[in-house]
Amino acid sequence: MADIALQNVSKSFGAVEVIKDISFQVKQGEFVVFLGPSGSGKSTLLRMIAGLESIDRGKLLIGGRECQALAPGQRDVAMVFQNYALYPHMTVRDNMAFGLRNIGMKEKDIAARVADAARILEMDALLDRRPSQLSGGQRQRVAIGRAIVKEPAAFLFDEPLSNLDAALRVRTRVELAQLHQRIAATMIYVTHDQTEAMTLADRIVILNDCRIEQIGTPLEVYTYPASRFVAGFVGSPGMNFLDAEISTSGKEAVATLGDGSRMAMTISVPDGGAYELGIRPEAVQVTTGRGDTTGEATVVENLGDRTLVHTRLNDGTSVIALDGGRSQIAPGDTVTLRFDTSQLHLFDSAGRAYHAD
Amino acid sequence: MTPAATRRTNIAGAIITVITVIAAVIWAFPIYWGIVSSFKLEDEVVRPYIELWPEHPTLRHYWFALTQTQIGSWYMNSVATALGVTVLTVSTSLLVGYAISQLRFPGRRALWYLILASFMVPTQVLIINHFVLIANMGLLNTWAGIILPQLIHPVVIIVYKQFFDQVPKEFREAAVMDNASELGILTKIYIPMNWGVTTALSIVTFIWAWNAFLWPFLAVTRTEMMTITVGITQVSDAFGVYYARQLASAVLAGFPVALAYLLFQRRVTQAITLSAGIKG
Repeated sequence: MADIALQNVSKSFGAVEVIKDISFQVKQGEFVVFLGPSGSGKSTLLRMIAGLESIDRGKLLIGGRECQALAPGQRDVAMVFQNYALYPHMTVRDNMAFGLRNIGMKEKDIAARVADAARILEMDALLDRRPSQLSGGQRQRVAIGRAIVKEPAAFLFDEPLSNLDAALRVRTRVELAQLHQRIAATMIYVTHDQTEAMTLADRIVILNDCRIEQIGTPLEVYTYPASRFVAGFVGSPGMNFLDAEISTSGKEAVATLGDGSRMAMTISVPDGGAYELGIRPEAVQVTTGRGDTTGEATVVENLGDRTLVHTRLNDGTSVIALDGGRSQIAPGDTVTLRFDTSQLHLFDSAGRAYHAD
Repeated sequence: MTPAATRRTNIAGAIITVITVIAAVIWAFPIYWGIVSSFKLEDEVVRPYIELWPEHPTLRHYWFALTQTQIGSWYMNSVATALGVTVLTVSTSLLVGYAISQLRFPGRRALWYLILASFMVPTQVLIINHFVLIANMGLLNTWAGIILPQLIHPVVIIVYKQFFDQVPKEFREAAVMDNASELGILTKIYIPMNWGVTTALSIVTFIWAWNAFLWPFLAVTRTEMMTITVGITQVSDAFGVYYARQLASAVLAGFPVALAYLLFQRRVTQAITLSAGIKG
């Protein structure tokens, strides 16, 4: 196990810069998730750590050792691919042993490691099968097993659950979390699925447009998004965004929404003026009492334990609000909305975030 | 399907079957005629009317071919040169195909175009150069002399490259992460993943080499060094042509290839489809 550090790392494909001066550190035993939309550079970054893509500038340290110029096999990391890449002509046992044979390990030691990994992943019965005789979930496990036998300094996962069906994905996610607890290895995991990121990560690295937007624990990035992008990308359903005119006096501010409604909040912004106001659906309650504004329910999604009410304010802005599980609201109803002003965020024109106290 | 439509389909099917059968008969009749004639007496062969079956079946021409000619040596030469051509062509082509498909090196594209271009040059155009070269090297009348010019089969390289191109790149990357060398990736991942194409290309290359006539005919003048395709042209003597004898030796010459076709029918069809797809 080892820590991994990237120092001012950049990469270009021809004239296109795909990774722009990125630095961060993964601590030993930590589970870090790279989260971002397609084209954000998250897979490229992972492949640069693996050695499958070159690093044009900057340093990569794995366990304190400079690795940017080393061949992939010499970096002491193991990778689990999205489509598993299990060699179809080899049995599960040979798939797992392949990498160990290449470094000249004795057959006796290989057998012991394969048996260990099979026990950890509960797949002893599968060792003599070919990949084509396995289900998707089993293949996934073999791919992880192939990484485990190497006892690497770090595990790299490239969207490993995206080929599984929904139910299996949830189950495998839990298994991965358990595996991480059991072997306490450094793991870097790439995904565009924020649920996977939130549930698995010790820390999330959010990438957008080839640079890091924010690094933080799942709760930090959810509660205190560093930018408009992070606020919009993390959370499902996504954060509500409303145009607001802010007037400030000290730490107090008053926001005037597009439909004319006003609300006071405690927040530090440098100046008043036009901002985007962000608030998560669970901070917007449908109420029968006094509220901050009213809107017309357009779609009602009953999820059993809670109900998502999609509303349209007078000025046409859409806001998703949360109601209880047995909501009586129907589309077309006028509803009163109350904003929890302690959970408000303001975003300036550059996308910088300010959080309410 | 309505009954009328079914009837139409049946009629169309019947017509196609009839045409196919006629075509098959036209194609197969000379082979049948050759085989049957090889069992006839020489004077039955030259009779001016068609006899579909020998009046007095005889094995004497086969006996002659097997005992009075050097057919044993010719077989040996054919087997050795065809195997040599097959092993060398397939092994070098798969290395070239792999390099062009998977490795990044300066001149890769130029090399690829060169191979594609060489594909358009018929062997006959090069045959004088080949002859002079092989003669200067002192390799006329040797197995090496027969084999060397026959190793140029760009189509085998092209088929390999296309198959290697289709292997998802993750396999290669996984092998790289697994510390495999370039040769290890080729021999332990790419070749085993493409056994089918190697088998098919080997069979079809063997058949090409076995059937080769023009080059072995030029490269060899000594009877005992001839391949069987060249050798059977020698089964005549000063008193004229003996058709039945020649046909008997032709049947013997064609026998291994026919056997290969029968045993590996599916693979041969596959290989011919692969190379035909490229040959256009």
